[in-house]
Amino acid sequence: MVSAIYILAVGLGAAFLIGLLRDEWRAGAYGVSLAALALMSLISASWVWVLASGDGRAVDILTAGTLPPYAINLRMGLAEAVLTLLINLTGLLSAVYLRDTLFKQGRRALATLLVFTMASCGIVLTRDLFNLFVFFELVAIATGGLVLLSRDQRALAAGFKYLVASQVITVLLLVGIIFAYHATGTLNIDGMAVLSELVIKGGGLAFFLMFIAILLDLKPFPANGWALDIYESAHPAFSAMLSAASASAALFAADKLLLIGGSTWLPVATGIGIFGFVGANLFALAQTNDRRLLGYSSVAQVGLVLAVLGQRDLLGDRYLFIAGGILLAHAVAKAGLYWLSGLVEGRKLTAWSALQGHPLLIFAFASFIALLVGLPPFPGFYAKWELVIALGGEGRLALLGLILFGALLEAGYLFRWFGQALKRERSLEPVAASSFKRAVILSAVAAGWGLGFIWGALSPNGNLLLALPLLFALAFLALEPLSVRIKNSVAIVGMVAWFLLTLPSYDPLQLIFAAVMLLGGALILLASYQTQGQRIGFYPSAMLMYAGLAMLIVAEDAFSFFAAWESLTIGSYFLILRGQRSEPHALSYMVFSLGGAFLILAGFALAAGGDPLFTLAGLAKVAAPIAPWVFLLLAIGFMTKTAAVGLHIWLPGAHAEAETDVSPMVSGILLKAGLFGLFVLLMAMGSQQLYGVELTHLLLWIGALSALIGNLMAAFQEDAKRLLAYSSIGQMGYALFGLAMMNHLGWLMALMFVINHFIYKSMLFLSVGGVAKRTGTRDMYRMGGLITLMPLSFIAVLIGIIAMSGVPPLSGFGGRWIFYNAILTAEYRLPMILIFISGPIAFLYLFRLIHTIFLGQLKDEHRRVKEAPFWLVLPQMIFVAFLLVFALVPGLALRRVDAYISQFHPEGALGWEGLTITSDFGYWSPISIMIVVGVIFASLFAWLVFVNRKAQKVKQFNIVFAGERPFRPETTHFAWNFFAPYRKALGFMTEPLVERFWAAIVDLLHASADLLRRLYTGNGQTYAIQLLAFVVVVYLLRTGL
Amino acid sequence: MAYIAMTTGFVLILIGLYGALTNRNILRMIVAFTVANTGVNLVMVAVGYLHGRTAPILDAAVPVAEAVERIIDPVPQALVLTAIVIGVGVTALMLAYAYKLYESKRTLDISAFKDLKW
Amino acid sequence: MSFEWIKIPYALLTLFIVANYGFLLTAVMAKIAARVGRRHGIPVWQNYLDLIKNYGLRSSITHGVMFYLGPVFRLTGGVGLLMFVPTIYGSVMFSNMSFAGDLILALYFVFFGSLGMALGAGESGHPYSAIGVTRGLSQVTAAELPFALAVYAVAVQYQTLSVTEIVAAQQGGILNWTLFTNPIAVAAAMLSFLGSMMRPPFDVVLAPQEIPIGPPTEYHSSYLALMQTNRAIFPIAKIVIYMNLFFGGAASWPVFFLKVFLIYLVSVIVGVVFPRFRVEQSIRWFLIWAVPLGVIAIVIA
Repeated sequence: MVSAIYILAVGLGAAFLIGLLRDEWRAGAYGVSLAALALMSLISASWVWVLASGDGRAVDILTAGTLPPYAINLRMGLAEAVLTLLINLTGLLSAVYLRDTLFKQGRRALATLLVFTMASCGIVLTRDLFNLFVFFELVAIATGGLVLLSRDQRALAAGFKYLVASQVITVLLLVGIIFAYHATGTLNIDGMAVLSELVIKGGGLAFFLMFIAILLDLKPFPANGWALDIYESAHPAFSAMLSAASASAALFAADKLLLIGGSTWLPVATGIGIFGFVGANLFALAQTNDRRLLGYSSVAQVGLVLAVLGQRDLLGDRYLFIAGGILLAHAVAKAGLYWLSGLVEGRKLTAWSALQGHPLLIFAFASFIALLVGLPPFPGFYAKWELVIALGGEGRLALLGLILFGALLEAGYLFRWFGQALKRERSLEPVAASSFKRAVILSAVAAGWGLGFIWGALSPNGNLLLALPLLFALAFLALEPLSVRIKNSVAIVGMVAWFLLTLPSYDPLQLIFAAVMLLGGALILLASYQTQGQRIGFYPSAMLMYAGLAMLIVAEDAFSFFAAWESLTIGSYFLILRGQRSEPHALSYMVFSLGGAFLILAGFALAAGGDPLFTLAGLAKVAAPIAPWVFLLLAIGFMTKTAAVGLHIWLPGAHAEAETDVSPMVSGILLKAGLFGLFVLLMAMGSQQLYGVELTHLLLWIGALSALIGNLMAAFQEDAKRLLAYSSIGQMGYALFGLAMMNHLGWLMALMFVINHFIYKSMLFLSVGGVAKRTGTRDMYRMGGLITLMPLSFIAVLIGIIAMSGVPPLSGFGGRWIFYNAILTAEYRLPMILIFISGPIAFLYLFRLIHTIFLGQLKDEHRRVKEAPFWLVLPQMIFVAFLLVFALVPGLALRRVDAYISQFHPEGALGWEGLTITSDFGYWSPISIMIVVGVIFASLFAWLVFVNRKAQKVKQFNIVFAGERPFRPETTHFAWNFFAPYRKALGFMTEPLVERFWAAIVDLLHASADLLRRLYTGNGQTYAIQLLAFVVVVYLLRTGL
Repeated sequence: MAYIAMTTGFVLILIGLYGALTNRNILRMIVAFTVANTGVNLVMVAVGYLHGRTAPILDAAVPVAEAVERIIDPVPQALVLTAIVIGVGVTALMLAYAYKLYESKRTLDISAFKDLKW
Repeated sequence: MSFEWIKIPYALLTLFIVANYGFLLTAVMAKIAARVGRRHGIPVWQNYLDLIKNYGLRSSITHGVMFYLGPVFRLTGGVGLLMFVPTIYGSVMFSNMSFAGDLILALYFVFFGSLGMALGAGESGHPYSAIGVTRGLSQVTAAELPFALAVYAVAVQYQTLSVTEIVAAQQGGILNWTLFTNPIAVAAAMLSFLGSMMRPPFDVVLAPQEIPIGPPTEYHSSYLALMQTNRAIFPIAKIVIYMNLFFGGAASWPVFFLKVFLIYLVSVIVGVVFPRFRVEQSIRWFLIWAVPLGVIAIVIA
C-alpha cells in the first residue's frame, strides 16, 4: 500500500512544482495538477478498497521517526480513506470542470486548488491538534484565493468577510489549543482523549474554545453569513468543493474533538446541529438565488450530520454507516447541484427552466434532490431509517421530530425549485454546452447511484436496488429513446408478468389490492398507447410508482413498507408534475405526502423500539403507553394518501391537472395505497384509546366528514376533472368509514369500495379526459349535447355514474347494501348521519357531470367533435364490462375476502349460498335484481317502441319555447352554477377553511424566514460580532444547563 | 513574569478584537487582527514559559542529559513560530484583498460591501 | 323465498290492481284538493281519459336515445319498486319479486327512475327540464335524510332489513305498529314523506308557474302516457314501503286500499294548507325540523 502521507506529499509537491513552471506552460501545469489530483484520489481509493474489503486495518503514519506525542502522526482508517477519496475526487472533478477558468488564471490558481485539496485531506488525516490548526489555516488561505476564481465581482467582498471570520476563529482555536496543551502536556488528539478527564475538568474552557472554533468552521447557523456569501458568489465549482470537501473535513475534525470532549459534549454538538438544520432550512424557504439556497441547504445538512455526531453514544457501531450515509449523500448531491448551477445562466431559481429539453440534466437534477432529501434508494434513506429508529428506540423524540420537520422544509423548497425548473416557461438563455462540465455532473450522478447501491448492500434491511420491481422501473431510464408503443408494451407485459409471478404468495386481501394496482394499472396503461413520440420521463415515473405499489402490498417489515411507500410517492409526484398546469399542485401533493411519510416513519420508529428490522406483524405487540401514539401517527400518515378531510387540499388540483391517462392512475390506483396502509394498521393494532378517546371513533368522524365535504365540494365544481377529484375524497371517506367501523361488513365494504372506486373512477377520468381532449376544455358549461358525437364515452359515464351512485342493479349498490348491514352492528351512530346525507349529494354531482357534458344543448364549436381516441375508449369499454360482471357476481371477488376477514372479525360474515347473498339482517340477489329490472325495462321499452315507433327526430332547437327559437346554445344550456339554490342553502359548508389553515401555516413560515434572514446584514463586521455572540451564547447555555 | 505576559497577551487579544469589530476601515481591521494575533502569540509563549529555565537550545550550555530539567517547554515556541508564519500569510492575503476592494469601490469602509446579504 | 314462474302472473295482477287504484286515487286526491280550493276539480276517471288521449296523439317527436328511454327508465323505476316490496302481508300471491332483495334494495331503487328520467329530460335540451332536475336533486338530499334515519332506527328496532319480517313484527294489534312503538322515527319519516310526494310546500320541482312542469317539459304523447302511469304507480309503491315499515302493513286488499288512501291523504292535507317553499327554504326546513327528529330516533334506537 502506498502510505497515506503521499496524498499530502503529492498535493504539496505538485503545488510547488507548478510554482516553478513557466507561466506560459498552462497545459503542462494543468496536466500536472490533474495528474496529482488523480494520484491522490487513487491512493485514497486503494485505501478504501483495502480497508473496506476487510483485508487491511487502520494504519498510523508516523513522521520524524518518532512516536507521538513527540511527533505529528496521521491516521488512515476507513472513515479517513472514504473522506479523503471524497475530497480528492471533488477536487479532481472540480479541476476538470474549471478547465477554462484555470487556463485563464494560470498556475497560481492551480497551486491554490491543490493546496486546498491537500489541506482538506490533512484535516482528515492528522491526529495532532496543532497540525489540525495549520491545515485549517491552509484551507482558509486557499479559500481566500479560490473565491477569486469567480466572475462575480461581489466575490471579493465575500472573500474578505470570510477572512475576517477565519481570523476570529484562529484566535479562539489557538488559545484553546495552547491551554489544552497546558492541561495535558500533549497535542496528540488520542493522547488528549485518554486524558479527557483532565481537559474537561481542568481546561473546560480550553476545550470549549477549541471545540467551538472547529464548529465555527462548520459555518453553523446562524453565525454564518460570511459562508453564505461565499456560497452565493464563488465559482460554482469552488462552492462544490467548499460544500462537499471542506465541510466534510471540518465535520471529521469536530468528530475527532468529540473524542476528547467525551459524552458531556455530545449534547452540545446535537443541539447546535439540529438548530442549524431546522433554522437554515427555514431560512432557505425565502431564497430565490439558487446558489445561496444551496448554501443554506449545505449549512443545514452539515448541521444534521453534526447532530448525528452528537448521537454517537446511541448509534454504536452503526455510527459510521449513518453519519457517513448522510454526509456522502449531501456531499455528492451538493457538489452535483453546484456544478449543475454552473451550466445555468440565470441566478433565479426559475432560471433553471433552461434545463427543459435536456432530459439527462433533469435526471441529474432529480437524482441530486432525491439524494439530498434522503429518498430511496439513496444512502441518506438507509441512514435516516436507522437514525430515526435508533432515536425512537431511545425516546429522543424531540430530536426525531425536529429532524423530520427540518427534512420536510428542505424537501419543500427543493421540490418547489424542481417544479419551477420543469414547469415554468422555458428560459431563453441556453445551457452551457461544455461536455467536460456535463461529464463531471454525470459522474456525480453515477457516484450518487453507486453510493446508493453500496449503502443498500451495507444495510441490514436489504438492498433496494436489487428489488426486481424497482430495477424494472429503473430499466425504463435506459429505454427512454424508444417509442411510446414499445415502452408501453414492455410496461404492460412487465406488470402482468410480475402479478402472475407473485400470484401464489398473495393472501386474499393482498390479491385484491394487487389485482387493482398491477392488473388495473396495466389496463389503464392501454390508454397510454394514444400518445405519440417518446414521452420522456413518463415511464420511469409511472413504473416507479407501480414498483412502489407492488412492493408495498408484499412488504413484511417496516423498512420495506416504508421504502415502497416513498418510492410510490416519488413516482407519483413526477407523474403528477407532468400535467400542464400542475406545478403548485404537484408540490402540495409532495409536501403532504412526505409529511405523511415522515409521520409514518415516526410511528414505526416509536413502535420499533430501536430494532431496524422491525416487522409489520410486530405492530400487534406494541404495548400500551406507546401504542395509541403509534396508531395515531401511522393513521394520519396513511390518511394523507387517502386525502381525508383536513389533509385533502392537495388532491383536487393534483388529480385534475394531471394528464389524461395519469389521472386514473393517481386517482383509481394510488389512493388505494393509503387504504392498504390503513388495512395493515387496523389488522395489526386493532382499535386504540388515547386519553379515553377511541381512535377508530375519531376515524369514523373523519371518514364521514370526508364523504360529506368531498361530495358537497364536487357538486359545486365547474371543472369536470376537479369534480371527479373531489368525488374521490368523498369515496375514500366512505372507505375510511367502513374500515373504522371495525366490524366484518365494514371492512368488506371498504374492500368493495377499493374495487368499485378503482373501476368507475378510472373509467370516468378516462372518458372525461377524452372529452376534454376533444373539446379543448374541462369546464363543463362549455360543453353540452355531446351524446350523439361521443356515444361510447357517454355510455362509460352513464354506467359509471349509475355504479357510483349505488342505484341497483349495478355494483355500487352492493357497497351500499353492505354498508347498511354493517352500520346495524356499529357502536357509534352519530357519524353515519353524515354518511346518510352525503349519499344523495352524490347524485348532484353525478347528474351534473353527465348532463352538462353530454345532454342539453350542443355548442356550435363542437359540432364536428369526434369520439375519443380508440385507445382511450378501449379501457373504458373493458371497465364497463367489468362493472357489469362485478354487478352480477360480486362473490367472485368478495367471497374469499369475506372468509379472510373472518380471522379478524368472526361475527357477521355473509352467506353466499346460491344466487342470494345473505347477512344477519337482510338478503340481496344481484342476478335476480338484474333479471327483474331487465325484464321490466325490456317489456316497457318494447311497448313504447310499439306505440311510438314513428317518433320523429327533431333538431336541437325544436323545443317548447313559448313559440320562439332559443337564441344560442350557450344561453339555453342550463349548466353554469348548476346548483345555485343548493349553494344558497349549504354553501357555508364549502368555505375553504382547511385551505386557509394550511396557507396560513405556509405564509407564517415564509414570512418568518423572510423576516429573520435579515439577520444576515451583509456587513462583515456584523458577521464577526455574530460569530462572537454565538460563542458566548453557546457557552452560557452550556454552563447554564 | 508569566502572568504579566499572559495578561498582556489577553489584553492585546481583546484590544485587537475590539478594534476589528469597531473600526469600519478595512486597513484598521487588518491591523487590529495583527494585534490580536500578537496577543495570541504572547499567550502561547507565556503558557510554555517556566520560571528560571533557559531557552530550549541544546548546545554546550545545556547538555542533553539535563535538558529536561533546565529548558522550558519547546513546543509552544514551535507553535508560535508556525502561527506567526501563518499569520503573516493571512495578513498578506487580507491586505491584497483590501487593495482589490479599494480598487473596486474606491472606499475602504467595510459597510460599503454589503451587496451580498440575506 | 325463491322464484317460481307463477310469480309472473301474480306480479302482473298486483301491478294491474295497483295501477288502476293509483289512477283513481290520484284523481280523487286532485279532486279533494280542488274542492278545498272551492274549485270543481276533475272527474275521477280523468286519468283514463288522459291516457287514451296521450296514446292517441299522432304527432310524436324525439330528441334522441336518452330522451326516448327516459320514460322507460321512469316507469321501470316505479314498477320495479312495487315489485321489490311485498304488497300484501302473508300472501304468497302478492309478495311479488321481494326475494331479490330487502329494504335497502327498495330504498336505492327509488332513484333508478328519477335518474333515468332526469337523463331523458336532459337530452331534450330544454333549460326548464334541467332546472327542474336540479331543484329535485337539491331538495331530495335533505328530504331523504330523515327517512333514511328513520329506516335505520326501525331496522335496528326489529333487527332485520327484511320488509316481510318488519311487517310480521308489527302484527297482533294496532299498538304493535311502529307508529306507536317508535313514534319519533315515524314522525321523522312522515315529514320526509311530505317532501317526496311532489305536493306543496315541496313541489318546486314541477313548479307549474315558473318552469311549466319541470323535468317532463318536453314529453308528450305515449312518453307522457308512460310517465303518467308511473305517476299513478310510484307514489303507491312508495306508500307501500311506509305502510309496511310504520303502519303494520296490509294483510288484505281492503286494508291496503284504506291505509294507502290515508297515508296519501296526509300529504294532500298538508299540501292544501301551505304555500310553496323555494329549494333552499325547504332544505333548511328539513334540516331544522325533520333531521333532528331522525337523529333522536337513531340515538335512542
